[in-house]
Amino acid sequence: MSKVRRVVTALGLAAAVALAAGCGGGGGSGGQPSGSQAQGGGSGGGEAAGTIRIGVQGPLTGNYAYEGTGFVRAITMLADEINQAGGVNGKKIEILKEDDKGDPKEAALAAQKLVSQKVVAVVGSYSSSATEPAQQIYADAGILHITPSSTATKLSEKGIKTFFRTAFIDDAQGRFAANFLVKELGKQKIALVHDNSTYAKGLAEWTKKYVEENGAQVVFFDALNPKEKDFSPLLTKLKGTQPDAIFFTGYFSEGGLLLKQARDLGIEATFAAGNANNNPEFFKIAGKDLAKQAIIVSEPMPVDLAAQNPDAKKFIDSYKQKYGEEPGSVWIVSAADAFRVIVEAITKTGKTDGKALAEYLHTQLKDFPGLTGPINFNEKGDRTGTIHRAYTFDDNGTLVPFKK
Amino acid sequence: MQAFLQQIVNGLTIGSVYALVALGYTMVFGVLKIVNFAHGELFMLGAYLGFTAAVTWTEVARTATGLILFTLGASLVVAVVGLLVERVAYRPLRRSSRLATVVSALGVSIFLQNAVMLLYGPNYQVYPEGLVSDRAWQVFGVEITLMRAAILATSLALMAGLYFFVMRTRLGMATRAAAIDQDTARLMGIDVDAIIRLIFFLGPLLGAVAGILVGLFYRQINFTMGWTYGMKAFTAAILGGIGNIPGAMVGGLLLGILETLGAGYVSAAWKDALAFFILIGILILRPTGLLGERVAEKV
Repeated sequence: MSKVRRVVTALGLAAAVALAAGCGGGGGSGGQPSGSQAQGGGSGGGEAAGTIRIGVQGPLTGNYAYEGTGFVRAITMLADEINQAGGVNGKKIEILKEDDKGDPKEAALAAQKLVSQKVVAVVGSYSSSATEPAQQIYADAGILHITPSSTATKLSEKGIKTFFRTAFIDDAQGRFAANFLVKELGKQKIALVHDNSTYAKGLAEWTKKYVEENGAQVVFFDALNPKEKDFSPLLTKLKGTQPDAIFFTGYFSEGGLLLKQARDLGIEATFAAGNANNNPEFFKIAGKDLAKQAIIVSEPMPVDLAAQNPDAKKFIDSYKQKYGEEPGSVWIVSAADAFRVIVEAITKTGKTDGKALAEYLHTQLKDFPGLTGPINFNEKGDRTGTIHRAYTFDDNGTLVPFKK
Repeated sequence: MQAFLQQIVNGLTIGSVYALVALGYTMVFGVLKIVNFAHGELFMLGAYLGFTAAVTWTEVARTATGLILFTLGASLVVAVVGLLVERVAYRPLRRSSRLATVVSALGVSIFLQNAVMLLYGPNYQVYPEGLVSDRAWQVFGVEITLMRAAILATSLALMAGLYFFVMRTRLGMATRAAAIDQDTARLMGIDVDAIIRLIFFLGPLLGAVAGILVGLFYRQINFTMGWTYGMKAFTAAILGGIGNIPGAMVGGLLLGILETLGAGYVSAAWKDALAFFILIGILILRPTGLLGERVAEKV
């Protein structure tokens, strides 16, 4: 009898642990075991002779699993190609992956695990909130750390010498949006709407700065409340300032609504929105006719990268051949770029020491031919320049380059 | 001036939605002296059922008759759910403490939210395009879309209907009697249980209509929407004087206008905060609400 009870207790405890793990994953993952555990056990402790270990940290389960899995796929594929061609400086590359579920707590654990496995460099993580806790752990261990997709400005404000990103910070997007609206489209009175989130407010403030530097006017600057669905009070106030263009820096779930309600109030100004609106939901919410009037500022779609850059085309083709689908987001291509930059640094310096690699990236790397365009880093490790483009929706809800 | 008039129209539109939802709170409170915290979720359920009907039979929903029929059908289903909620969550607790009822109401609310999330998924759902034509009129420079006009007209008609029902019919008189004193009403031969069922039928019915109007207007619905709108409507009910039917109507419209003016002339990000400032202010300064019942009536 007591045996039965013990079994039941054990099962109950196991269920509780599984539930807790599921909650930690931010829903969706439901207590799935992470693939990384098997990986970590298999590779054992200590550094294997003759291989260079590179870590990939990203959300392999949970809401952003698509991106994290894409990172791993892209990088594994490139590593295989390099290994078949003889490796880097005579050594084979070994890829270690860690799942952080896009969660800050898990991100710290994932980073510690990769550090203990003696990786020389890490690509990841996907979101800024997961990259931040991992950042310090890699910095303390002196490991080169490149994020392909975290854009929060503050990540590079801490003076970490070994931190880089192949994504652009929101400064670059704001500059592009301001230049595009003022110089390309000739808009003089611009209304900026954000939603008080760190990302949206930052982007709005950067855009304001560059709009004014371009000699145009910001006639309206205010936040909407994303929990609300009724933006007509804000829009009525905005209408009174008679802007030529509206630039919305928040997310797609409000972007589509904002556009629709603006037109309902008879506001005819050009409507543009930031890269968080690069989502089919925007099209659905605004409706076909209105969505086609919107300009979406975004990093290029993988398909447009392929059209302009033979290397990108080759990468995307082999990715499709290997995994049966094209990389669905630019961040996956950016992860490939992060990996290629790491390999470049190791090849050119002949070292695997994080500080030496970082030094090389800071001082020597110039116009590295990335799949997402030329790559240069400034002293903070941020990528300089811009690759943003203006897009618009076609009849099917696909983003196509904007034509005047 | 134009902008001000436009803001008033904006406020009246959203306010009339609050008023419809607030009626549900106020009627239940009037008779049972409890707050039906599951009411917001019934509003949300209405929006989702309307969405399902519109997605399943989009072509029918594009005709005015179809749309009205779907609204009616979905609202009736929600009204039946309202009856069920009363039977399962409130009637067994009729004689227990108020705290038990509040907990039970919150339970129902969480249950409904999760049920909808599991059935429809956690993401936004979007009403099909073009159910209501984009026609708009300019009146003194104020843009009035067909949808806004429809929301105002529907709410005003429903509120007028309810007012007439409560003030002019025998059943309405019985309801008012039950609201004043249940035991005395029972002695006078009024079936108080039937009145309570009626209340739990009418409130959700109006709430569901409001849910569908919101769905048609903003086109984007989410399983958590019941909470925000529920709290706003509850505030409106308190503002007008909870338990008082004309109070809920006035409270709803007033809250909509105040909130809109606040968003328009202060900052849109403060819109929600403003609603709750009003709630706290009313509770401190005039706990009975603007049209609150005189205490003498209850003694």
